[in-house]
Amino acid sequence: MSAILIGIDTGGTFTDVVLCDLSSNYYTYFKLPTSTGKPSQAVLDGIKGILELSNLPSNRVEFLVLGTTLGTNAVLEGKCSNTGMITTTGFGDILELARQRKPHTFNLDILKPTPIVKRDCRMEVSERIDYEGKELLPLNEEEVIQAVAVLRTKNVEAVAICMMHSYANPTHEKRAAEILKEIWPEVYVCVSSEIMPEFREFERFSTTAVNASLMPIMDRYLVEFEAGVVDMGIQIQPRVMQSNGGAVTPKAVRLAPVNTFFSGPSGGVIGAIGLGEQVGIHDLITFDMGGTSTDVCLIKDGVPVKKDLREIAGFPVRTRTIDIHTIGAGGGSIAWVDAGGLLKVGPMSAGAYPGPVAYGRGGTKATVTDANVILGRLNPKSILGGRMEIFPELAKNAIKDHLVPALKVNLERAASGILEIINVNMMGAVRVISIEQGIDARDFTLLAFGGAGPLHAADVALNMGIKHVLIPPRPGLLSAIGLLHADICGDFSVTRLVKADSQNIDYINKGFNELHARGKAWLDSEIGSTSDAQFVWNIDVRYFGQNSELSLPIEDSCLDENKLNLLLEQYHINHTEFYGYAMRDQVIEIVNLRLMVRALRTHPPVERFKSSNTELDKSVVESRQVWFFDYGYVQTKIYERNLLPLNCEFNGPAIIEQMDTTTVVPPQFRVKNDEFGFLHLYL
Amino acid sequence: MNNLSSTDIDPIKSEVIARYLVATSEEMAATLMRTAFSPNIKERGDCSTAIFDRNGEITALAHRIPMHLGSMVGVVSEVIKRFGISGIQPGDMFMANDPYNGGGTHLPDINVISPVFFDNEIVAFVANIAHHADIGGMVPGSEAAVCTSIFQEGIRIPPVRIMIAGKLNQDLFDVLLLNSRTPEERVGDLKAQIAANHVGVKSVELLFKKYGIIQTELIIKAYLDFTEKRFSEAIKKIPNGTFEATDYIDGDNDGELAKIFAKLTIEDGKLIFDFTTTDRQIKTSRNIPHRAVLATIYTVCQSFLDPSIPANAGYYRTIQTLASLGTIVNPVSPAAVGCRSVSCAVLGDVVASVLTQAMPNKALAGSGPHHLFIFSGTNPKTDSFFVDYETLAGGMGARSNHDGMDAVRVHASGASNLPIEALEHVYPLRVERYELRNYSGGTGEFRGGMGVIRDYRILGDDIVVSLSSERQNQPAAGILGGGHGATGQFIYNPDQPDERKLPSAASEINMPRGSVLRICTPGGGAYGESSDRSDGSKEKDLLERR
Repeated sequence: MSAILIGIDTGGTFTDVVLCDLSSNYYTYFKLPTSTGKPSQAVLDGIKGILELSNLPSNRVEFLVLGTTLGTNAVLEGKCSNTGMITTTGFGDILELARQRKPHTFNLDILKPTPIVKRDCRMEVSERIDYEGKELLPLNEEEVIQAVAVLRTKNVEAVAICMMHSYANPTHEKRAAEILKEIWPEVYVCVSSEIMPEFREFERFSTTAVNASLMPIMDRYLVEFEAGVVDMGIQIQPRVMQSNGGAVTPKAVRLAPVNTFFSGPSGGVIGAIGLGEQVGIHDLITFDMGGTSTDVCLIKDGVPVKKDLREIAGFPVRTRTIDIHTIGAGGGSIAWVDAGGLLKVGPMSAGAYPGPVAYGRGGTKATVTDANVILGRLNPKSILGGRMEIFPELAKNAIKDHLVPALKVNLERAASGILEIINVNMMGAVRVISIEQGIDARDFTLLAFGGAGPLHAADVALNMGIKHVLIPPRPGLLSAIGLLHADICGDFSVTRLVKADSQNIDYINKGFNELHARGKAWLDSEIGSTSDAQFVWNIDVRYFGQNSELSLPIEDSCLDENKLNLLLEQYHINHTEFYGYAMRDQVIEIVNLRLMVRALRTHPPVERFKSSNTELDKSVVESRQVWFFDYGYVQTKIYERNLLPLNCEFNGPAIIEQMDTTTVVPPQFRVKNDEFGFLHLYL
Repeated sequence: MNNLSSTDIDPIKSEVIARYLVATSEEMAATLMRTAFSPNIKERGDCSTAIFDRNGEITALAHRIPMHLGSMVGVVSEVIKRFGISGIQPGDMFMANDPYNGGGTHLPDINVISPVFFDNEIVAFVANIAHHADIGGMVPGSEAAVCTSIFQEGIRIPPVRIMIAGKLNQDLFDVLLLNSRTPEERVGDLKAQIAANHVGVKSVELLFKKYGIIQTELIIKAYLDFTEKRFSEAIKKIPNGTFEATDYIDGDNDGELAKIFAKLTIEDGKLIFDFTTTDRQIKTSRNIPHRAVLATIYTVCQSFLDPSIPANAGYYRTIQTLASLGTIVNPVSPAAVGCRSVSCAVLGDVVASVLTQAMPNKALAGSGPHHLFIFSGTNPKTDSFFVDYETLAGGMGARSNHDGMDAVRVHASGASNLPIEALEHVYPLRVERYELRNYSGGTGEFRGGMGVIRDYRILGDDIVVSLSSERQNQPAAGILGGGHGATGQFIYNPDQPDERKLPSAASEINMPRGSVLRICTPGGGAYGESSDRSDGSKEKDLLERR
């Protein structure tokens, strides 16, 4: 009996489900609206729907992974649970003091976010640990008991325990948690030294508070989800995608819901890496353009850039995530003219409803999509394989009425201007992520997906001198497909802030041992064994006096003098590579120890496009006037992607239409449809 | 070029090129922050990058700190004045920090400026500014309210060549390094500044290559015109009129005050700020150099009128500033200016006050500025000398529609705080309390933002502290019946028999081992009468001790 894999990507508007049957390598796809009522409903309906559609029995499901935006949305919409905090006397306001900056430099009406824990729910107790982990003042247990009593009257559902320097010595936090659980067993508890034992109190407290506030919400959701999965007769434990690109059990997610913040977009990046492996391309820039936002991410040697600190709704959250850079511009971004007379695009968006004017659903403000319709790039009759009618006249009128008079240009120029401006914004995002990593984007392949990625990718590439654009067979579904490629993966860290010299080796190794124990326990609970797992060790190092670290890989978790010297040498080299200089006389400091445990799974084969057609001409469905930069309107062949013969090549200009997207090929590009059905655009 | 005017320019091309220039300045900033050494630049982003046209007008600015909004105005012209266009060759790079000679707004801000050549002529300049943690002077950190001459504040650098035809001017570099208490940091930071300009020059060259000199310059000129028009339109929505406001910074001696007076005239899309009757410059370093005045005015005007306008010379043109030489707001050399960021908060309140009268629906009450303190001495753990430069935020004034924000840097100032767990690790200090300062915001319909209270216990034997502040004598004013914010305080050994209040500005006060310094920062002023405060807000104030 051969296995079935299922991935479910919950988006804001639609939930995408993908199923791969390993016995036939056959893929099935299913799309349904994301329900606004009970969040687990669309997910369960989706699983049921795709099993029925593919006519496969549920007991053959061997891997089921969910990409969820539940935690992200709860924070963004301010719907977190009522949460309390127990903290060190004198430090009750850390969450509010934050970094003492206004959220916006100039807009004074953008206020600091309301703290996750209200001031009257932040309880101070006497205790103090110093930076070396020494106890300065014992924990006053009586005060903890009183604090719990007060919190019960405040109707909190979860409690964050956050004490100063707990990363160096967690005993006070652990004891407070014990007392809390003993007298109030049903409350959700998150302890800062367990969720994120790293120094920098504001970020640790914030991460802990956000996590605590999501625990009740995530738990209720997962209870429904797991029960539904069992009811369907699925026998394996389902998994959830984390921001680090790894899939974990609901048990792990219940403890650390903050780890799901980039669950959905991570699927896209993991999918991109999987596709890259298939076609042998390992240096990629992902370009995922949707209706309201665009995500870009840099993948070097098949490894995505990772980041440890993100902000969500103004709250810093320290958790390992794939470094996805989001800009608030997409197909639905609205074009407008400012008071000075300049054309602007975004950041306002027409959203899913009413959407672009050309959709005929009551939208009146011209969007990027409308410009694409007017210029012949998007099909002016219908999209989504004929399922959605398009009204180009409405789009034209919107631009004529609102933009043309103010700009004093003609319709064509106004429409092309919208594209020119959105493209230059996209280019800015790609340039910044490359410069942050110190790489030259021209050596990378731009992998375009999302509903609007393939419409704009070639123009962005052209502007930047990127010579290769890759468009996978199903650009609209890459995030869901990527879920099937997830490994089992967990990240652990601990601060060890000491000078990197031999007398601290024991202290550092003790930290490694702690991490090893945590990683092993986690693996035991995630996959029931540690036999096939990889333990990947890193150590964050900096010059003494610096405030940011470089993470260096080390072979194993046992440092000796020799290995330490090699590590320091490597640090000087990496520093030179990354920053352009080294400071060999400067003392080096260890900051954090990191462990990633990963159990690799066998990834499903990438779906191969089949095409019964072998003649290129037969894939041409029509010819129309399409506008291109530097050329203007050109009579252009429109190809149906499903009919493109495999292993064929042809020159731009061309428009390639398919169900979930449209690919624009400017005249400067040559197209190759390869043996798997991937489109390559070469400059 | 003369036959075409900027009004014939396609507004779309103009936006596209502007976006490109902004992206270039962002790339320069990313390079600078990535390669810088010191936390001040790397983590707090105390730096800015800009692109200028050939005449030195700012065309794009990526700023992290609003104080830098005006910091580069006129900087390029100083270089041109000193070297002449013909005296500048490709690969030259200039450096300056003197506020009176082509630098920024105080000595720690070092400007680095590069010409961009195309077809053998200068077509543009790129520059960046970064705050260096120590550039010499009488106090570590190069900032203290008690300095009485700019010569005490650090090394003064007029525009000079740090790179000559692509080669580092090592002699100059060495002079600078010898003048800093932390030379290793300076090397890393200056190299980062040089790297950032290289990135900017390359990118601007590409732009000129794509569109040619005539076309590019025309479009950039048009872009500035479009920006000017946009800001001017925003000003035109306010009726013409004249408004006045007065506020006070501390004077040279404890208890003395120095007056800042502003008259704003709004006239057909232009703003004229006249400070001519402001007091004469003072001896101590609270004076505000011209560029810091501009930065503050630009920041507050942008906040009131159009928070998202792109920063360039276009909108600067709509604002005129008149200030007599030799006054607090236009001091002449050698007036000390190191603490201008604290006094700028008071200046910001004056600017906000006249704008509030002109735009009552955007009203902003007075704000509590940050306090600045610098601990130094020997760290007994390492036996090495340390300098801990920190700022602690006050509270923002209330607006006509919401409470003032608690614990934020106000107006043009903006650096963030240092994590306690990080500072306890590196300095012989222990923070025993760091909280919002209860009831420090003025009371009213909308209350002022709360200040902050922090206690440091001293864990070393030869530690001294230098203090700088404003609003310890003159509170942040409330408006329309709203209460004033609480004034700030420095207290030695609070709640002990030898408790005493420390002066609002002081240098190198001895702090024995075991003693405590308490810093209470000022709160913001309120808006409107307390009787108009909503019941819900009153209830929350009570519950949350605000």
